[in-house]
Amino acid sequence: MKKQWMPLDNAALIFPAVRRQTWVNVFRMAVTLPDDVDPAILQRAVNDLKPRFPSIYVRLGAGLFWYFLEEVSAPPKVRRDYAYPLTHMGARELRTCCFRVLYYKNRIAVEFFHSLADGNGGAVFMKTLAARYITLRYGAEIPAENGVLDIGVPPSQSELEDSFQRSSGEFTMSRAEDTAYRLRGTPELSGFLHLTTGIVHTPDLLSAAHQYHATVTAFICAVMAEVIIGIQAEKVPLRRQKPVKITIPVNLRTIFGGDTLRNFVAVINQGVDPRLGPYTLDELCREFTHQMAVEITPQKMAARVAANVKPQNKAVMRGAPLFVKNAAMRMVYSFVGESKGCLNVSNLGQVKLPKSMMPFVRRFEFIIGVQYSYPNNCSIASCGDVTCINMIRNIEEPELERRFFSRLVELGIPVSIESNYKHEIEA
Amino acid sequence: MYCVKCGVKLQEGVGCCPLCGTPVWNPDDQVARRENYPCEYPDKPYNERIPGLAFATVIIAALCLSCLIACLRTYGSMAWSGYVILGTAVFYVIILLPRWFRHPHPMIFVPVSFAAVCGCLLYICQRSGGHWFWSFAFPSVMLVGLLTTGAVALYRYIRRHRLIITGGVLMAIGAASMLVELFEDLTFHTGMFNWSLYSATAFGIFGLFLLLAGIIRPLREHLEKKFFL
Repeated sequence: MKKQWMPLDNAALIFPAVRRQTWVNVFRMAVTLPDDVDPAILQRAVNDLKPRFPSIYVRLGAGLFWYFLEEVSAPPKVRRDYAYPLTHMGARELRTCCFRVLYYKNRIAVEFFHSLADGNGGAVFMKTLAARYITLRYGAEIPAENGVLDIGVPPSQSELEDSFQRSSGEFTMSRAEDTAYRLRGTPELSGFLHLTTGIVHTPDLLSAAHQYHATVTAFICAVMAEVIIGIQAEKVPLRRQKPVKITIPVNLRTIFGGDTLRNFVAVINQGVDPRLGPYTLDELCREFTHQMAVEITPQKMAARVAANVKPQNKAVMRGAPLFVKNAAMRMVYSFVGESKGCLNVSNLGQVKLPKSMMPFVRRFEFIIGVQYSYPNNCSIASCGDVTCINMIRNIEEPELERRFFSRLVELGIPVSIESNYKHEIEA
Repeated sequence: MYCVKCGVKLQEGVGCCPLCGTPVWNPDDQVARRENYPCEYPDKPYNERIPGLAFATVIIAALCLSCLIACLRTYGSMAWSGYVILGTAVFYVIILLPRWFRHPHPMIFVPVSFAAVCGCLLYICQRSGGHWFWSFAFPSVMLVGLLTTGAVALYRYIRRHRLIITGGVLMAIGAASMLVELFEDLTFHTGMFNWSLYSATAFGIFGLFLLLAGIIRPLREHLEKKFFL
C-alpha cells in the first residue's frame, strides 16, 4: 500500500533543522484517570485513532531539499513511562515514529515531536485518545464535542492544512529586538529533566489575576518576570543587567480561525528592562497586559507569520539543498530564536472536555520541554477546577521554581507541589 | 503537609520539599508516597555521529592503504605514502577522533592533538635525515601545546575576567615566540631577534593593554561603550 506523505508546515520546518544530539523540541500531553491504565486497551485505542489523525501517525523523512512527514506503517507500541518526562527523541526514533504513547499507573501521556503539532493539535489528539480509552475500558458514551473528534469520520482538509500560508501578511515584521537575560545553573549532564508541578485551584488563580486586572497568562508572566528580576538583581550589577522577557506562544486559531491539527502558533517576547527602575507586581501585570494587547493583533501577527513564511517561499531557499537550509536555519535560530527571552510560558488555557468524560479525568497536564539554551520552561493547563503549572528544568538548582511558587503562596494562592525527585529515585 | 519554608503543600509521604530541600518530618504521617514517575531511566541515547564517522574512517583507511600499496608496488618502499598516512592520521586525531565521544573533553584532546603533530614531525625528521626534531620541533610544539592547553583550561573553568585572561595569554604568546626563535637559533644558527622581537612587542603591548583594561574599570567601560556590537 502506498504511504501518504506531506511536507512540514512552516513552523515545523525549524525543529528538525535545529535538533541536536542531546536536545530536540518535544512536548507532552497527559491525562490522569481514576484507575491504573490497562496497556492492552490503551494499545487498541492508539490503533483505532490512526486513520483519524494522518498528520500525527507519521515519521520524519529527509528529502534532498526538505524534510517530510510520512505515514507510519503501524501505530507505535505503548510503553511504560520513564523516570522523567520528555526523554530524548533521537534521530532513529524520529525516523520510526514522531510521537510516543506512555503509561504509568493511572496516567496516559503522549509525547510529540513539535513538527507534528502544537499544543492545541496535541490536546485534540490527547482528548480523543483518552475518550477512546474510556469508551473501551468503561463503556462510556462520549460524544464528539469540545475537541474530541469522531474517529469514524475521515479527516477534513482544513485539519491537515498549513494555515501559515493563508494567514501570512504582505509585509514582514523585523525580528530585531534586545537580547534577554539568560538563566543559568549547573547542567544535568545525565539528561535528567526535573519536573515540578504546582497544582492550584483555578478560581483562586483567576481571582488573583483579576485583582490585578490581568489575564491568567499575563499574571503568571508578571510573577515570573518579578522573580527573574530578583534573581538577576542578586547575580548581576545593575549596569550590566539585561531585559527580562518571557516568550509567549500565541494560538493563531483564535485570530485567523481554522481548525488545523498541525502547528499554528507564533511566539512573542514580552518583558521589561530592570535598568529603568524597580517594578511592582501591579506595574508588571499592567505591562504584560498592555504589551500583549498591543502585540496580539491580526495585523501584527500576520506580519510576524510573513517573516517566517516569505523566506520559505523564496526560489533561492526552495532550491537550496537540505544541509544548506539546515545550516541557515540553525544560524537564524541561534540569533533570534532563543536569545530574546528568558523562558517560555505556554498557557494552553481551560481544556474543555465532553460532560460525560469529566468524571473519568482527574487531571489534564501539558508539559513543554526545555529549549536548547533556556534551562527552564513553564507550561500551564487547566481542566475543571484544577490548574497544573508545570515547570521543567535541566539544571540542578530549583531556584526559579522555589521563588515562583513561594511568590504565588505569598499572593494568597495555595499551591500543592509534586515533583519527580531525582535524588530519591537514585538513592 | 506543608513546607515550613516555602509554604507550599507537599505530597503525602515525601522526605523533603522539592523546592528548597527542607526535610519534612511528621511522626503521624505513615502514608507511603505515591510516586509520580517510575524509577526506570531510558537507555542512554546513542551517538548519532557514529555511522557517519565509521563510514569516514573506512574511506580514509582505504585511501591510506591504497597509497601504501601503490608505493610498495612502484618503489618497493613506503616512499611518499608515509607522509600521506601520517598527515591523514593527524587530521583524524584532531578533527574526527573527538567526534566519537558525546562530550569530548578539550583538556584531553588538545594535548593529544599536539602529541599527534609531534609524532608526525618526528617521522618527517627521521625520513629526511634531519637533526632538527629534538632541538627545535619538539620543544616548539610542546610550548605551543602547553600554551593552548593552559588557555583552553582558563577559558573553560574561569567564566569571569576574560579580558585579563586574554591579555595574559597574548603576553605569553609573545614570550613564547622568543623561545621558539631561541630553539631555531640553537638548531639552525640563524641568530636571535630576527623576527621574535617584533611579535613579542606587538603581542606584549596588546596583551598589556587588555590586562590593564581588565583591571581598570573606567577604561573597560569606556572601551565597552566605544566598541559594543
